[in-house]
Amino acid sequence: MYLAIREMRFSKVRYTLIATIMLLVSFLVLFVTGLARGLAYDNAASIENMEATHFLMEKDSNHRFTRSQVGAEALEQAKSIAGENNAQPLGVRMTTVTLEEYKLDVTLLAVEPEGWLTPPAAQGSSLEEAGVGSVLVDSKLKDSGVRIGSTLVDQASGMKWTVAGFVDRESFSHSPAVFLSEHDWRQLQQVAAARSGMPTDTTYSAIAVKAGKQQAERLAAALPDNEIVTKSEAVSAIPGYKEEQGSLMMMIVFLFVISAFVLAVFFYVITIQKSSQFGILKAIGTRASYLAGSVALQVLLLCLGSLTISVLLVQALESVLPSGMPFQLPASTLALTSGAFLAMSLAGSLLSVWKVSRINALDAIGRTAA
Amino acid sequence: MRHRIVLQNITHSFEDGGMRRVVLDNLNVSVAEGELVAVMGPSGSGKSTFLSIAGALLEPTSGDVLVDGQSVIGKAHQELSDMRLHKLGFIFQSANLIPYLKVEEQLLFVAKQGGVDKKQATGRARELLQKLGLTHRRSSYPEKLSGGERQRVAIARALMNDPAVLLADEPTASLDASRGMDVVRMIAGEAKEQGKAAIMVTHDERVLPLCDRVLYLEEGRLVAH
Ligand SMILES: Nc1ncnc2c1ncn2[C@@H]1O[C@H](COP(=O)(O)OP(=O)(O)OP(=O)(O)O)[C@@H](O)[C@H]1O
Ligand SMILES: [Mg+2]
Repeated sequence: MYLAIREMRFSKVRYTLIATIMLLVSFLVLFVTGLARGLAYDNAASIENMEATHFLMEKDSNHRFTRSQVGAEALEQAKSIAGENNAQPLGVRMTTVTLEEYKLDVTLLAVEPEGWLTPPAAQGSSLEEAGVGSVLVDSKLKDSGVRIGSTLVDQASGMKWTVAGFVDRESFSHSPAVFLSEHDWRQLQQVAAARSGMPTDTTYSAIAVKAGKQQAERLAAALPDNEIVTKSEAVSAIPGYKEEQGSLMMMIVFLFVISAFVLAVFFYVITIQKSSQFGILKAIGTRASYLAGSVALQVLLLCLGSLTISVLLVQALESVLPSGMPFQLPASTLALTSGAFLAMSLAGSLLSVWKVSRINALDAIGRTAA
Repeated sequence: MRHRIVLQNITHSFEDGGMRRVVLDNLNVSVAEGELVAVMGPSGSGKSTFLSIAGALLEPTSGDVLVDGQSVIGKAHQELSDMRLHKLGFIFQSANLIPYLKVEEQLLFVAKQGGVDKKQATGRARELLQKLGLTHRRSSYPEKLSGGERQRVAIARALMNDPAVLLADEPTASLDASRGMDVVRMIAGEAKEQGKAAIMVTHDERVLPLCDRVLYLEEGRLVAH
């Protein structure tokens, strides 16, 4: 403590420089982490928002909602196992709708209007009140000119829906969500079936269930043609999700490694520069453990200082970012990232600590000039 | 008369490219309290090696070192650190102060390491600085001091924990004649007053009259002329 602080006080420029580098790196780490979280949420918000623990999907659908087809009988069975209230049908279809002459890419999410998958309306009336032929849409669509009462026309089927209200933060694979009733979903399927000339039974994309581990296992056993997928598996199978998160994660990991490396090199170089000083300190009776602790403490102080400032900076930045920018840094993520950064920095100081412990007190005598 | 440091049958050899070079060969010396011993000898004769062994920085190939009757051989690293902290005071030729500690802090640091309580340490530091005429430089960094002042700070630091033995490796090498005399006079005075044993390696013939004994390191042994 005594030495560490006094040395930093004495060599202000040197330590300010390294603190600045750490500040920039940790800021970048936090920013990219926030962006990754934000993008992840923006990508999968609708699924994340659902209270389901698992999704029942078709086998071999690779956990993808858009590929999976589950029949009505599976819904009945799920209800009987998980409980009447713990299973809900869910339809997912990515499509293009037109608003007058504008085309909009959206994801249709079909839910039971009175069920627990239906989000509350932030504006306008709820799906239950609005009735057949009405939809709730993500408020992001306001920017494209969608208003309450607008009519959306599905390009594929030609079906028309009226916008009854808006919901906040609802999206799937980055496209805004359009919630429609299960009744309209069935109609949509019939229109599609009629076009292709192959009438089919009603199917859903998945069945959302609230189930414990054991119930999930019983479901899997009872429905051999289906697969029970956890929510996080389902989220990472959303098109683009893994790729996006993967590249952001790689950036974050690299930033961590870079910061550990920069610190390691910096402290190693100054430790070598100071080896005769360490030799003297050892010769006059300072324990190696004290000196090693001193180096580690300096790293810790620099790291904590720069982290504090960058957390403040990132929070300031978050408050001025435009609302459309996907950025999310909840306290838990912030704490985790800061902790990881701290740990990496300390790892970076290990080399110097090791070097210090190796310096010989003898270097202080007779060979000081060397 | 109490011998504060005793070196018995010290032999030391360096492994040098497969060759064994014996630097110290069955060396014996004892220094009593209040005594200042000068050690002279040609470059490469092993003076620094001798001093390192006396100061528990280097373990001899064979032989024993007793400080206040306590052997330093075979001790663990930490014990040796503590021994250096409490029993041995080092004064090096140069560059021996910590650049980022102010004069007073140099002294307080060793006291702190030695577990001395703060108030007592501050008192002792004041007293030592006063004695060595450094009171006005108390809060300067070493880079702002002259060579003689630095050497005096080093002496004060070596004395801070009231060691049994003072060891100095060419303490006057970077000083002019009169400053050099002052420094040696101080070391001699400390030894006398506090009953410490002092060993000083030197090349400087002018300071010899201030020493009680002059020994020459020849063929690995210390001999008087
Ligand atoms: N670590 C070492 N490994 C090998 N040889 C060494 C080592 N340290 C010292 N020596 C050799 O031991 C001999 C004595 O060295 P030492 O430093 O004790 O000499 P010295 O009398 O202090 O010389 P000077 O007056 O130049 O300071 C020298 O020949 C030196 O080369
Ligand atoms: Mg020497």
